[in-house]
Amino acid sequence: MTAATIIQSLASGLLMGLLYGLIAVGLALIFGLMDVTNFAHGEFLMLAMYGAFFLFAFFAVDPLLAAPLVAAGMFVFGAVIYLLIVRFAMRAKANIGMVQIFTTFGLAILMRGLAQFFFTPDYRSIPTSWLGGKTVSFGGIFLPVPQLVGALISVAAFGALFFFIKKTDFGRALEATREDAGAVALVGIDKNKVFALGWGLGSALVGLAGAVMASFFYIYPDVGASFALIAYVTVALGGFGSVFGAFAGGIIVGLVEASTALILPPSLKSVGIYAVYLLVVFIRPRGLFGSI
Amino acid sequence: MTISRRNVLLGGAASAALLPLATTAVRAQVKEVVIGVIYPLSGASAQIGVDAQKAFETAADIINKDHDFALPMAKGEGFSGLGGAKVRLVFADHQADPQKGRAEAERLITQEKVCAIVGSYQSSVAVTVSQICERYQIPYISADNSSPSLHRRGLKFYFRAAPHDEMFSTAMFDFFDAMKKKGQKIETLALFHEDTIFGTDSANAQLKLAADRGYKIVADIKYRANSPSLTAEVQQLKAADADVLMPSSYTTDGILLIKTMGELGYKAKNIVAQDAGFSEKALYDAVGDKIPGVISRGSFSLDLAAKRPMVGKINDLYKEKSGKDFNDYSSRQFMGLIVMADAINRAKSTDGEKIREALVATDMPGDVTIMPWEKVKFDDMGQNNFANPVLLQYNGGKFETIYPPQGAVAEAVWPMK
Repeated sequence: MTAATIIQSLASGLLMGLLYGLIAVGLALIFGLMDVTNFAHGEFLMLAMYGAFFLFAFFAVDPLLAAPLVAAGMFVFGAVIYLLIVRFAMRAKANIGMVQIFTTFGLAILMRGLAQFFFTPDYRSIPTSWLGGKTVSFGGIFLPVPQLVGALISVAAFGALFFFIKKTDFGRALEATREDAGAVALVGIDKNKVFALGWGLGSALVGLAGAVMASFFYIYPDVGASFALIAYVTVALGGFGSVFGAFAGGIIVGLVEASTALILPPSLKSVGIYAVYLLVVFIRPRGLFGSI
Repeated sequence: MTISRRNVLLGGAASAALLPLATTAVRAQVKEVVIGVIYPLSGASAQIGVDAQKAFETAADIINKDHDFALPMAKGEGFSGLGGAKVRLVFADHQADPQKGRAEAERLITQEKVCAIVGSYQSSVAVTVSQICERYQIPYISADNSSPSLHRRGLKFYFRAAPHDEMFSTAMFDFFDAMKKKGQKIETLALFHEDTIFGTDSANAQLKLAADRGYKIVADIKYRANSPSLTAEVQQLKAADADVLMPSSYTTDGILLIKTMGELGYKAKNIVAQDAGFSEKALYDAVGDKIPGVISRGSFSLDLAAKRPMVGKINDLYKEKSGKDFNDYSSRQFMGLIVMADAINRAKSTDGEKIREALVATDMPGDVTIMPWEKVKFDDMGQNNFANPVLLQYNGGKFETIYPPQGAVAEAVWPMK
């Protein structure tokens, strides 16, 4: 094993990790805001990837340009899902946790089914794009441009999100609602509005991730499943509800995955992720940066 | 009543006991022949299942209506041996999950009363489905499962008309030997295979052949199917830089493999693939431009239409339904149902044991099939050893047969560009 191999692995792991973080942050945000785990998160990612694909296929919009459009579309989609479905699920009088799980889980299956029906189960991909297939290399270390740009977008999105939550009125309202939804109602903040915007924001972020990924990954109705699993681990590792935790968790997962593959056979590369995850669960059950 | 495992077993045993009685009673007036078709109709390989459905519907259409082909079951309507009874297919979805396959097979047999089952794309699912079939004494045909271990389990109701991966891999190594004789340098091989029974069996066959014939395996990489990233795996392939890269991958991983190779600046000298993803149009739509000259094994080639016009006509029927040409999978699926229907017709019965006897007696000459096979005749393990595999090369946007020489329509481009 040469130094170049190790650096290449870690660099690839870091880029992938930043994307994992971007995929996971929407999940963390929604959970932090209202204690709802969105089991359809992977399907939101799938929808966003199809969004980018169709914009490309019908209007020749490059995935990079499509990213803000897809994010905007997903914002509306997320908010509508909250207003039409999740809002009612939260009114359950008993077993509210179960009701939410089944609601979002059912939504996931519905979305997959609809995608297979309307988009067909064919594997799609965007053959040519500004970024797709391009690679930069520094002294034998290859960095694929789509993942590189994806990582930069991820860092920028986290920066913007951080600023947004700490510095803007809406961000403060989000924080306040998350701490005590009852109390914010007393000062005249509409809880439903904040939740809807939270769902919109969370979905927009996964939309951004989906559009970026569309330029280098294949797209089909089940594509979200393997990424969703990683997103759940990322969020649990970083701390449920913590935006910074999702960022750090994503990077850790990416690096651990890459370094496991250096030591163990590649088919066992996710073993490392789950070993770290178990360790965190034992030592610090609320996750590395969790506050719950 | 709660549904416990014991109740399911009891119910299964009871219906298994009743089955021979029930079929004897209805044999006199068989109106339709119900055949179960078990495929991944949703989930990661749904595309395969949906295409397969069209291939089976094409076959059923040919059985039920009068067609002027030399193909068995084409002439006349329905089963002549059963007074013109029509075939009815019941599709079941196993989602690539062996346990769902087991449950669906059980449902097909006990609820839908199918008299035979055809499946199943994933070899891992064929393992459980064929066990259930064995228990209920219902014949199972592997239309397109290629793991060699499947027919070596001593099952009496298991049949496979198509080649298995040892036959396919042998063809690849025969081809390597032939290329070496022509002065090409082929010394090192890199195996890249997914971690279910398909990839594992394929790699085992290739490892054994490589050892027997003096090729050096410089990388043997087993990866998890449907991985979000294959960067680490491709790095190892790149470090090994073998003369031939030999992937055994389904479509998703195949696409990601080729994309990741491009991203990491690795260009394989040659690729000789164990079919699967490398027979699928989706893969070539996505990354075909990156791998001109890739070779895949197969058991079908549209080239055959030039020699046997029926192949082209049946392909047109399939294309009408699916919008796609026959590929290695859809052609084997089509033939799987024809072979099964032909046996049922000769059995003149829908009784499992009678159909099994008819399958054992099958001797179908190759030129009445749509495949480049010598014939269809099963050995005592249910394997057809007369199904000659071919190697196809992807050149200029289409596949051409390059090996074996008697079936070849083009010279192999080697090394690939």
